[in-house]
Order: sequence, then structure tokens, then C-alpha cells
Amino acid sequence: MNQDEVSFTDLIASSVHDMKNSLNVQIDTLENVATALHERGDGESAATLGAVIYQANRMNVDLIQLLSLYKLGNSLYPLDIAENSVAEMFDELLSQNGSAMELKGIRISTDCPDDCYWYFDRDLIMGVLLNALNNAYNYTKDEIRLVARINNGALELRVEDNGRGYPPSMLTDDLTAENKGVSFLSGSTGLGFYFSSRVARIHKNGERCGSLAIENGGTFGGGCFVVRIP
Amino acid sequence: MQLTKPPPPLFLDLLKNATVLVVDDYQGMRTMLRNVVKEMGIARVDTANSGKDALHLLSQGKYDLVLCDYNLGPGQNGQQVLEEARLNKYIGLACIWIMVSAEKSSEMVLGAVEVKPDDYLFKPINQAMLETRLQRLVTRKKVMAEIGAAVEEENYLKAIALCDQRLQEGNTQPQELLRIKSQLLMTIGAFDGAQAVFETVLKERNVPWARVGMGKVQFAARDYASARMTFESVLEENRMYMEAADWLARTLDAMGEGEQAQKILEDAARRSPNSAARQKSLAETAYRNGALDVAQAAFEKTIKVSEFSSHKNPAAFTGLAKVLSDQENPERALRVLDQSRKEFPNNPEAAIQMAAAESMVYKNMGDTAKAEAAMAVAEQVMSQLEGKVSAEVAMDMAKSYFKLDKKDRAAELLGNVIKNNHENIELSRQVEGIFEREQMGEAGQELIEKARQEVFGINNEGVRLANAGKFKEGVELLRKAVHELPTNQVIILNLAGLLIAQMSREGKDNAIAAEVRLLIDQAVRINAANKKIHEYSAVLDRLMKAA
Repeated sequence: MNQDEVSFTDLIASSVHDMKNSLNVQIDTLENVATALHERGDGESAATLGAVIYQANRMNVDLIQLLSLYKLGNSLYPLDIAENSVAEMFDELLSQNGSAMELKGIRISTDCPDDCYWYFDRDLIMGVLLNALNNAYNYTKDEIRLVARINNGALELRVEDNGRGYPPSMLTDDLTAENKGVSFLSGSTGLGFYFSSRVARIHKNGERCGSLAIENGGTFGGGCFVVRIP
Repeated sequence: MQLTKPPPPLFLDLLKNATVLVVDDYQGMRTMLRNVVKEMGIARVDTANSGKDALHLLSQGKYDLVLCDYNLGPGQNGQQVLEEARLNKYIGLACIWIMVSAEKSSEMVLGAVEVKPDDYLFKPINQAMLETRLQRLVTRKKVMAEIGAAVEEENYLKAIALCDQRLQEGNTQPQELLRIKSQLLMTIGAFDGAQAVFETVLKERNVPWARVGMGKVQFAARDYASARMTFESVLEENRMYMEAADWLARTLDAMGEGEQAQKILEDAARRSPNSAARQKSLAETAYRNGALDVAQAAFEKTIKVSEFSSHKNPAAFTGLAKVLSDQENPERALRVLDQSRKEFPNNPEAAIQMAAAESMVYKNMGDTAKAEAAMAVAEQVMSQLEGKVSAEVAMDMAKSYFKLDKKDRAAELLGNVIKNNHENIELSRQVEGIFEREQMGEAGQELIEKARQEVFGINNEGVRLANAGKFKEGVELLRKAVHELPTNQVIILNLAGLLIAQMSREGKDNAIAAEVRLLIDQAVRINAANKKIHEYSAVLDRLMKAA
């Protein structure tokens, strides 16, 4: 077979898939080690390992986003916009991320009515919130809050922290990768924002489509990451 | 990982005594899943390494939770195991079925599958994930359990009332409840009510299930042009929404556009090849269109897909045999019928269909004696059934008689099909098609019209007698008609209605009530989607409870 026939994107996608699987095995093992350390009373090592787990989770989120974007771009993603319970999704996010937060001494809380149901692709929106949680983990002082509200016929999901907030340069209305300055130097790849805005936009109801915003303020006066889904 | 161990969640108490089955073809995954379940404090966990193994265990009917891998290697996949377990009632409505998979596929999320698991879980799986999901599913099951029980005992009116009650309480997925309610309304033939539900949902959001529902309502009202547009527009947005494709094909068939229907079904079968019902419709449509190669492949696939399932249908075998016979391969056709006899040992309707198909094959081979002998066998079995055979079986026999040039018997059988289904337009059209293929279109139309008028006449006379207060005479007339036309639902239900009217006028009577119950059962067996069945059974209950 002619090597030119292999698409580089396809090759990357299949490698990403493979990396993601390996990484998941690593995370699972690391979590078991951290629990063991904690139970043995070695809090310091457990906390160090917690930071490693955080980095591994970040990589995992990146890989999932890359893979989803690849599938969305090639019409391979089985988009499943269905009725979901937002409270249940929050619970699942906490059960997946609670331990890493706790290791860093971050309090995480949710504010969502029990009977809050909305139409969205659960896996994609989970990916968006995971990305926002990872950012908040990085920039918060010690508090993160997940909020859900139904406002003007749209579901508003907020991830709020009590850090210093976003720098003014980032607070523009148009949240696309170009405007967020994809840069290998600053370490800001723009992937998270690109992914999130893409996901928000494919959530449509009639003429309206979803949107993304970042702002400062909220309950704690820190950074707020906001997704609106019609 | 939990650092500060929270108190065990409440739901685990409910599951503590559960019996769990883990199905996976990989030893490593089986052990991992079993350990996760055991960690949660559940003691009774069985494992199976194949679909066959799993079904054997499931047939004992004792599992509350099933964790099943989607990909089980050779043999059945997880979806097929689930379908067979549901079909055979190995698992009740209370059983939670979680399908485990490496990744989400479009077959899972769109309307490609009819029987769905309670949830999908994507690898990698950890304990925290399984626990949160289970908590949610246990709660949901509890809410739905009562509705499910009412459905299981075919008390659809009660199930609908429960849906309304849950909707008012407002703590479950409202759209899911509306979807279930609309399905129930369609089941009992309350198309207006179902349409109202679909319209309410569509006002808020353009969801495909509600649009397909609107299409089905249009189909039921025989507004085929609108139904076609509806199904086409759903498919345009979502090529994988298989239910819309199946209904579009059905609509096109009803409109007489067989070629188009075949195209749609071929496309759907390519995208989602493992539905036996879809393969069978494709095969039958292609056979009618004379596309023998397509028909052969689709009949073979139908047989293959349902090989392990109790959903096996003799018509797939007889259909394949007829295709092979038309392709001048009679030896293989006879072998298929031999195989089919082994597959359906105690099924008299199947025996008739096989004999009729065999007769056709022999006639094609030029062996009239053997062809006639086969029909003699068919007649014998039919007389054992006192003539109570489905329209499909009767039409199969008629086709074979035409082949043998025994037109009188063929016409008699087809006339009975019409008399037993005098209001069924689709069936009339099929019978007309059979006559047309015999170059007897005009005679066929005449026969159909005469048969329908005869039944309409009896029916009207019964109603007239009842309106004149002559219940006894009306009842006698309709009883005789029911005896002669044991599968005519309209007459059966009119007799039931007449008896109920008589009781409400003359006082209740246990013998008559019993007769009405039998008539209602008879009607349910023909087709439960008739509003009258459920209305009459509710009226009868009220009447018998009243002092």
C-alpha cells in the first residue's frame, strides 16, 4: 500500500485513541496508589501524586477532546441530543474529580434543582465541563461551584471559582481559538475553548444555537465559565 | 477513589441482596467487573463468557442486574442477547441491564434498535462511575415499575393514567414519560390522543421520536402523502433513524411504490443489518418487485440474524424456498424447506406454509402429483385448526392453488381473508395484487367487493336489530357471524358491544360477562391496537362491579 494513502489525521486519531486507553490504565493505577498512601498516613506523598493525577487527567481530557473533534469533523460522531438530568451529570462529574480536588484542598459544591432536565449530548457537555473544571482547579484559591439554571428557554451551566479571575485580554465576546491566541509559547493551546465553543454551537433548538462565555464575578467574585444551551 | 469514605448510599441497601450477571468474553474484564460489583457489597455475582452461556443462565430468571459487554466475539452480540432475554421474558421489567462498550456507536444512540438497555457504560469503568449510574437507574426503575407492571398485564388505560400521575408529580424525565404515554396511546389505537402528545412535544423542540409519531398517526389515517413527507424529513436530518426508514418503506408500499420502498429498505439494511424484521420486509418487497437476487440475500440474512433467536419466522424459510424455485434451483429450495421443518417442529401454521411452498416448488419442477399431495397435507392441518389461520397463511395457500390452476379454492380462501378483515384496506390491496398477478384483476375486485358487502350487511343488520331493542335477534345474528368469521375483529367487537348493551339494559349476567371476556381476548389476539377493546373491557369491569 502506498504510504501517501494513509491520512495523517487518521493516523493521529488512531494514535490518540490508543494513548487514551493507556492513560486510563495509568490513572486508575495511580489513584489506587494514592489511596493506599493516604490510608498509610503519608499525606504528603499522596498530595504529590494528586498533582500527577491532575496532570494525567488534563491529558486525558485533551485526548478525548481531540478525538471528539476528529469525529465531529468527519461526521463520525454519533451526536445524541437527548433529555438528561443535569443533577445526575453533576454527581458523576464530582465522583470522577472529587478526589483530585480534595487532595489539593479545594471545596467543590453544586447548585442545581433536582428536577432540572434538558436536551444535550451528555458526553460532549461532560467534556466541556471537565475542561472548565480543570481550568478552575488551576486558578482557584480553594473553592469551585457548579451551577445550573434554566434562563430564557436555555440551560445555563456555570463553573465558578474564587481565584483572581480571567485577565482582561481574554474577556472578549467572541470565544474562538483565533481570538484566544493559540500559542506553543504560553502553553495555551486553545483546544479547550475551541472544543467547548464547537460543542456549544452544535447544540441547536430551532433557530437558536448554544454559546460560550467567560466572565469574572459570580458567587465568589472569581472566574466564571458559562455555557448556554437552548 | 474516595479518601473520606462517605456512608454507604441508600440505594445499595436495595441492591445488596441483588443477583448480578456479568457477561464478557475477556477473562480480565470479567474479573474486573465482578470485583467492582463485589466491592459494592453485592455477594451474588455470576459470570458468563458468551451470549449462549449468558442466555442459559438468564433463562433461570433470577437476575436483578446484568452487566453485559456489547462485543462478545463470535455468536450473538450483547444487543442480541438482551433482545432474546426480553422476548423470552427471562428478565422482568425490574431488571437493570447495563451494556458495556468501548465506545459509543451510532447504532446505540439513534433509533436503530428497538429494545434498548437501561444504560450504556463506556470503558474504562471504575467503581465510582458504576455506583453513580446504578443509583440513578434504581431510582428511575422504581418510578417506571408500576407503569411497566400495568403494561405487562395489558392494562393500558391504567398505564396511561399512571403516566399522567407521574407527569403531574414532575420528578421524572418528563419527555420520557410523554414518549411512553404516546406509545401506549398508539397501542390502543387512540391516535387523536397520541397526536396531541406529539404536538405538545414538538412545540418545544423538534425531536425525531415525536415527528416519527406524527408520521405514524398520518399513516393510520391513511394520509400516506403526508406520512411520506414526515418520514422523509426525519431521515434527511438523520440517516441513522431506522424507525423512520422502516415506516417510510411501509408507507411507500401502501402507496404502491414498491421499487422506492425497496430502495429505502436496502439503504436501511446496509446501515443497520441486524434487524430480522427489516431484512424480512426487504426480502418480501424485493420478491414482489421481481428482484430475486436481492430477495434471496435478504431472506438468507433474515434466517441468519434470527438463527439464535426465538423470533424465528417460518415465512423467511418459505420465502427463500420460493425465490430459489423461481431461480430454477429446486433442489436447494426443497433442502431449505426440509431444514425449516426441523426448525419449527410443533407449529401447525408453519406446517401449512411449508406445504404450500413445497407445492409451488414441485409444480415449478413439473411434478403436479407431488404438488397436489403437498396441498392435501396443508388442507389437513388447516382442518385441524378449524380454519382459523392468519391472513398470511391463507394467502400463501391461495397462491399455491392458483399455481395448480385450482382457481375456485384459491378464490374461496381469498374471499375468507377479506370477510375476516373486511375493513382492512392494506390487506384488500394485497389480495387484489394476487388476483392481478393471475390476470384475474377484474374478477378479484368483484369478489372482494362482494365479500365486503356481505359482512357489512350482517354487521349493519346486527346494529339495526340492537337499535330497535331486539337484542336477542341481533346477538344471534352476530354470534353466527363470529362463528363463521373467527378472525373478524369488527364483528367480534360489535357482538361484545351488543352483549354489554344488553346487560346494561337487562341487568348483569355472569354467563354473558364471561362470553364478552372471551370475545375481548379473541380481539386482543388479532390486534390489540383497537380503542374499542380497552373501552369495552373498562365498561365491563364497571358494570360487573356495580351493585
